[in-house]
Amino acid sequence: MSIQIKDLTVTFKNGVTAIRHADLEIPKGIFGLLGENGAGKTTLMRVLTTVLSPTAGTVSLDGMLYQEGNYAKIRKKIGYLPQEIDLYPGLTVQECLEYMGDLSGIPKEVCRKRIAGYLEKTSLTEHRKKKMRQLSGGMKRRVGLVQALLNEPEFLIVDEPTTGLDPEERIRIRNLLADFSEKRTVLFSTHVVEDLVATCNQLAVMKKGEFLYAGSMRNLMDEAIGHVWMCEVPDDEQARKLERTYHVSSKQYTESGLRMKIICKEKPELTCTPCNVSLEDAYIYLMNRQG
Amino acid sequence: MKKEIKICLPLYKIVYSVFFVAVLSLIRGVGSTFEIGVTLEPLMALLAAVFCADTYVQEIASKRSEVGQLYPMKNRLASILRRMAVQEAYLLVLAAAGYGLFLIVQKPILFYGTRYGEWSMFGGYLAAIVVTLIFWGMLSHTLSCLFRTMWAGIGGCLIVWILTNSTTGEQLFGKWNLFSYTFRTIEDSRDMDWLCGKLVCLVLCMVMAGMLPRIMRRRG
Repeated sequence: MSIQIKDLTVTFKNGVTAIRHADLEIPKGIFGLLGENGAGKTTLMRVLTTVLSPTAGTVSLDGMLYQEGNYAKIRKKIGYLPQEIDLYPGLTVQECLEYMGDLSGIPKEVCRKRIAGYLEKTSLTEHRKKKMRQLSGGMKRRVGLVQALLNEPEFLIVDEPTTGLDPEERIRIRNLLADFSEKRTVLFSTHVVEDLVATCNQLAVMKKGEFLYAGSMRNLMDEAIGHVWMCEVPDDEQARKLERTYHVSSKQYTESGLRMKIICKEKPELTCTPCNVSLEDAYIYLMNRQG
Repeated sequence: MKKEIKICLPLYKIVYSVFFVAVLSLIRGVGSTFEIGVTLEPLMALLAAVFCADTYVQEIASKRSEVGQLYPMKNRLASILRRMAVQEAYLLVLAAAGYGLFLIVQKPILFYGTRYGEWSMFGGYLAAIVVTLIFWGMLSHTLSCLFRTMWAGIGGCLIVWILTNSTTGEQLFGKWNLFSYTFRTIEDSRDMDWLCGKLVCLVLCMVMAGMLPRIMRRRG
């Protein structure tokens, strides 16, 4: 299953263009979507889930074009977990999933079996009789993930599923996504760089409605080699001066002053050494290289 | 159906609706039994408008509608109709209980004086109130879906309510008024002209039900 986006543009009624002339191919496996707030990630996901129609350009899923006549077929192949979803607070986990399965047209017996299977995989079996309102944020997110998987989608879209979760729960969600990506395409949108490092090899970076990068994570990091530097300054004043001139991706107090990681095209005019590039550094380099 | 009951009849809705009818029966004086239906009909219409305003828009507010977009339209419509049915059935029971409460609390004079007369008046009230509840619930739900907020449903209904539940409305629409039962000639028990107003309600309900799939497709 692959998704092809060609020259996609989305302009809202108020004249704001959220996505402009975007081209992208999303292959099988987990594909990361990274970008600052307001970059157009959620709009792209809403187009991919058929919630929003593009103003121009085409989107196709395994060659099937996104158009009115194909929507019913396309929707059957998609599972979606929106950024913020408040699942029926008065229903138990089991009831909520049965209800959503019923709405999506899954036969009752099949649905029950799938729910049992996915609750087991997401360690929610013991909580299935709890009301949705009694669950923690992480558990709710896991139930959300199960609802997205109920129709066994070939294309799973998850929008910032780890936002606001504690580290343990974030790792759990990430691992689940990795498990569920085995036989399907998963589009994983986030602005938490660590989540992508831990789960995917391929990613796209969005800024102001355009793709700044699409490809392997390794290549993105390679592009930043030679542009990330480590230096030490004795006091805060010097540090502030540096911050005004360069992009600083980390800052740490040490016994001798402050250790700073600087990202810039050329070697800074101070004593510094090249250092290892993380995805976060590469992302900052990419975002600022384009001005 | 059990899940729909849990979704659209949360405790707070039951509490405020029961409270509304109970307080009404305490503070709104009626002298004769014929006044009970006349008093309850417009106020139950308001309650139905508030009660049903979030039937679907709760899906929008909670972002569940974004996932719901992936479900077949007929399943989504069926679930809305089930929710409406649950709410209307509840409101009907409440309307009937409200009639009883007025009898107990206000102890009005029996208008017909006979058991048969009083029961037939109650039967007429039930027939009228069923249509009233369905119409105002449906109108509120439709307006809410159209504007994607329950306040549009409640506000829109309030405007129509003020217009039709008034002397101006009565003069303007006559027997075709939405509140034809309230404005009927009570002295003439054979006067069935109020059915015309209820017919208008039913026709409008059918129109709104027919528009619903289109509204949902266009407004999410």
